[in-house]
Amino acid sequence: MSVAVRQPGPVIEAEPIRSRRGIVWQTIKRRPSALIGAGILLVVVVCAVLAPWVAPYDPHEQVGPVFGHPSWSHPLGLDDGGIDMLSLLMWGCRISLVVGFAATFVSMVIGGTVGVMAGYFGGRTDNVLMRITDYFLVIPDVPLMIVVAAIWGPSLFHIVIVIGLLLWTSTARVIRAQVKSVRERVYVKRARALGAGHTRIVFRHVLPQVAPLLIANTVLTIAVAIFDETALAFLGLGDPSRISLGKVIENAFQRAAISTGAWWAIVPPGALVAVIILGCSLLGGAIEDALNPRLRVAHLSARSFRLRPLVGRGPDAV
Amino acid sequence: MKKRWLAALVTGCLAAGLAAYAATANGSSSGPAAQTGGTFRLGTSSRIDSLNPYVAFNQDAYSTFEYVYPLLIQYDKANRKFVPDFATSWKATNGGKTWTFTVRKGAKWTDGKPLTAKDAAWTINTDIKYAAGGAANSAGLIAHIKNAKAPNATTLVVNYAKAPGNVLGQFQQFPILPQHVWSKHTGHKGNDLKRFSNNPLVGAGPFKLSKFKKDDIALFQRNGSFYGEKPLVDAFGLRMFSNEDALVSALKAHEIDAIEDVPGTAIKTLKKSFNVRAVTGVSQTDFIINSNPKKKKHKELLNLKVKAAMAHAIDRKQIVRVVFLGYASPAGSIIPPATGGWYNPTVKPESFNLALANKILDRAGFKKGSGGIRVANGHKMSYEVITPTDVPSTNRTFQILQPDFKKIGIQLKQRALDSTAAFDAITAPDGKYLNFDLSLWNWVALIDPDFMLSVVTCAQYEGWSDSGFCDKGYDAMYSQQQLTPNQAKRKALVWKMQRYLQAKRPYIWLATQDAVWAVSKSWGGLVASPQGPFNSISKLSLSRVHRQ
Amino acid sequence: MRGADYVIKRLAFAVLTVFIAVTINFALFRLAPGSAVSNLSRVPHATPETRQALKRQFGLDKSKFQQYVIYLQQLAHGNLGISFANSQPVSDNLRTALINSVPMVFLGTIFAIVLGTLTGIVAAWRRGTKTEGASLTTALTFYSMPTHWLGLMLVILFAGTLPTGGMSDEFLIDPSFTTHVKDLGEHILLPSLTLGLVLFGEYTLIVRSAMLETLGEDYVLTARAKGLKPWAILRRHALRNALLPITTLIALSLGYIVAGAILIETVFSWPGIGRAVYDAVLQRDYPMLQGAFLLLTCSVVFFNLIADLLYFRLDPRITE
Repeated sequence: MSVAVRQPGPVIEAEPIRSRRGIVWQTIKRRPSALIGAGILLVVVVCAVLAPWVAPYDPHEQVGPVFGHPSWSHPLGLDDGGIDMLSLLMWGCRISLVVGFAATFVSMVIGGTVGVMAGYFGGRTDNVLMRITDYFLVIPDVPLMIVVAAIWGPSLFHIVIVIGLLLWTSTARVIRAQVKSVRERVYVKRARALGAGHTRIVFRHVLPQVAPLLIANTVLTIAVAIFDETALAFLGLGDPSRISLGKVIENAFQRAAISTGAWWAIVPPGALVAVIILGCSLLGGAIEDALNPRLRVAHLSARSFRLRPLVGRGPDAV
Repeated sequence: MKKRWLAALVTGCLAAGLAAYAATANGSSSGPAAQTGGTFRLGTSSRIDSLNPYVAFNQDAYSTFEYVYPLLIQYDKANRKFVPDFATSWKATNGGKTWTFTVRKGAKWTDGKPLTAKDAAWTINTDIKYAAGGAANSAGLIAHIKNAKAPNATTLVVNYAKAPGNVLGQFQQFPILPQHVWSKHTGHKGNDLKRFSNNPLVGAGPFKLSKFKKDDIALFQRNGSFYGEKPLVDAFGLRMFSNEDALVSALKAHEIDAIEDVPGTAIKTLKKSFNVRAVTGVSQTDFIINSNPKKKKHKELLNLKVKAAMAHAIDRKQIVRVVFLGYASPAGSIIPPATGGWYNPTVKPESFNLALANKILDRAGFKKGSGGIRVANGHKMSYEVITPTDVPSTNRTFQILQPDFKKIGIQLKQRALDSTAAFDAITAPDGKYLNFDLSLWNWVALIDPDFMLSVVTCAQYEGWSDSGFCDKGYDAMYSQQQLTPNQAKRKALVWKMQRYLQAKRPYIWLATQDAVWAVSKSWGGLVASPQGPFNSISKLSLSRVHRQ
Repeated sequence: MRGADYVIKRLAFAVLTVFIAVTINFALFRLAPGSAVSNLSRVPHATPETRQALKRQFGLDKSKFQQYVIYLQQLAHGNLGISFANSQPVSDNLRTALINSVPMVFLGTIFAIVLGTLTGIVAAWRRGTKTEGASLTTALTFYSMPTHWLGLMLVILFAGTLPTGGMSDEFLIDPSFTTHVKDLGEHILLPSLTLGLVLFGEYTLIVRSAMLETLGEDYVLTARAKGLKPWAILRRHALRNALLPITTLIALSLGYIVAGAILIETVFSWPGIGRAVYDAVLQRDYPMLQGAFLLLTCSVVFFNLIADLLYFRLDPRITE
């Protein structure tokens, strides 16, 4: 959630225009937290993509006894089906990341559209869209996810949709604020005066300025999406035909792993999820910080709570 | 020399005799003498969903009723014969259409009011009156009863329209309620019966309910005014946990004394310091094939040869090993072996033989197409298997079935839904059972076979049926066994029905789970049962549990 | 905009939101596959007649619109309906569940505030040093852990020393006051600690931001030059500066935490509102679900309203 502790004065100052491609890369190079975050994500993604070739065993094959102990051939032990944990983690990463990216894509598309339209057109459009956003913010999100997953059936597709439908609000708010400030800039006004159409202005002038913030928000949303998927899987509402990291934790939990002493079935998958979320938070937070240092946005959205404005509502909302 | 040898023999016999006497006097096979008193703490991962017999659905609720209410009959220790509970003797006359029960004299409810045959008659008559409404839960138990009368305080006469074969089995599940409490709640055409919270509970069992917190705890105290065998403990409690890890941890930390359902993975660790007991249970997992004769889609599933081939493609031993960690046995019949004489031992599980399965399908004309998947009636033999998420064994079971079915050219896809949505998907559309193909589920049977045999009758559409099976020949046999008072004839019919069902295969039975429970070594006396130590079969188990 | 105007506008919006939520919740559950009747009628020994009777009894045989109208009427009378699962009033079920959840959530929030404030102060005071990095990293790391996983970690660590399930040891017969309190404390410790650990990161960042702001102000430099002790400066200015955002954060979080506690309640077998919602979904207990959603939405709206009003009153810098 976003907590803005403000300095007196205008909320968002016009930043010196840096090259849009430059800012993300510059941040990663300059700030250690961003570097670590990016590094973590890179390793995880590479591992996930290469899993079919790199994983030592098949994730469906029983290679030993139920909850087998860690050994040299199975450094992370076996799960409740006698399957190698290390391979499960690699394959599990894939699904978790896919869900994270897909849900974020959905929320980015919806949130980005809403945010751009509200910020660019202002007036009534803005009002209506913000009211809708406010409504979505008060829906209890975890119960709603449970209801939808239970009712429509726990398939990967439904989970992606429902997570995406709940996370777009944060993107919308952030984009809207940025679009508003960009709209007032000189070159945009000049383009309008020259007769450029809305679409052209949006795509050529507004979006590029909004892109870095969008990227930061996207990275943070991925973290929330992955967390939400883990939560749903834990409650028994994950897709049972796919192995995700959340499912691995849930399997172990359902089969009394802890009281049997099989800690290796529970600790590694959760630690991996925590690491991924940490990486996203570091990277996303660093980029946002770099973009709006005077705002001092204390930005943590790894919880399933969406961004809520602490500073007023309406036009000044952040 | 001779005398000394003789003396040793006599002493030895005396000692053996004394030991045997001591053992039988305890009612347990362990050595030390029973101590009375104390609180026995039992843990479960299931729960008591309601204290109202007209609302409750879960097994633990029914087990509770067994211990707090009078029932006419209960099962003996071996779960084979019926022995007295509230009724001391019974006889059937008039061709089995009139049953007369003699009940205990001078019995009292926990609030001090007298408990007589009139309460029994009232309960039966009320259930008949509101069978279509508030008393729907018991409708099946009072089937075929015309009315019940209590000519005096110790005699109950039940009049049937037709002579049923399972009278005692039905009354074994029928708790008698206090008329003076429940008669105030029959308003709104009996619908008020379901609204009554029944807490505090006025009953008349070996225990009385002293504390109940939903999804948390139920505490029972010894009932000093009970008409039958008084319990050895002062009290027992059922602690309900929301997951099995917490349950096992609590036992290990000695926060509870016993678990009534031990998860398979925990058995090995618990065996080290607890008494773990496993007996063949009455819970069976099954592979369901939509057997609705009116089915339009995927009609090949009605083909008995296809069903037979599927049956041979199931590796039951692997399921027993991985899913149940060895604490189960392969199953073949709708009636589990633990029911004693009702089980037909000639109905055996099919052999796991992929070559045979392939041969059957080849001969039946289902050729293999692209990707090795067979083609039937112009479409791929690719089916969706509905699995309920609250039966966790179905996931691992499916993962065992899927690759084996692929080897015989049938593709399986899993569709997991919670049990409500799963049942709806099976009955879709609108209770016509036309859409679904396959499913995995489990059944918990009773000792009397009537219930399990009823779930595949046409009348159970939208009720208990999850297979859409509807066969007139079978329905005729079912009505007949229900109305055959001669137990030997009834048994023969029940055996015949099991063979019939194995041939028609609405279900392919997978495994019969063991009932596994664990008790702290300082407690003994629990009576084994396929339903576990806390059950709705008899009052003996928790009456006899004691510290040792 | 004048103060009264603002308040009225927020109130009106709150009411409207609740109404929309009520309607959408109703529609959502009734449209769901898996009807309550099929579940209800899976009673032992059911017949087709009983199923029809059940439908009539729960009003499920009427048209959806009629059911909606009836629902609104009942709501106006404060009647949340009867639960399908145990045939008891929904308001009773919800009340019991809420009473169980609130102490745990409250204690967890307190843990979060305390931990957050401490780490925030440390981070701000030692700006630019390794300590700042360490405390921020700790805060962020705990914040990134999945709630249920952290709960399970605590279970692994403390199994045997602390109870890992339930609210209290129900088998204590007539315990003395101290034993009872100790028992309750032991049981509530782990779940609320889990909640506190996953949430404190937010508070860390707020406190740190507030402190950094204040510590950079001129009057603080003056005070230090005058020789005032650091703790006095902290107390008088920086913490007060942080008070506003913290209060607002608490108000906002409370609206959501109750729903998010589902995961903790599942791990620790806590019979609270989270588990009640979960069970109601599985049983298609519409009245319970509608009641729970109404409760949760109202609490979010209510606390958001409080947060808005608080901020409006306390922050002189807001102008609209």
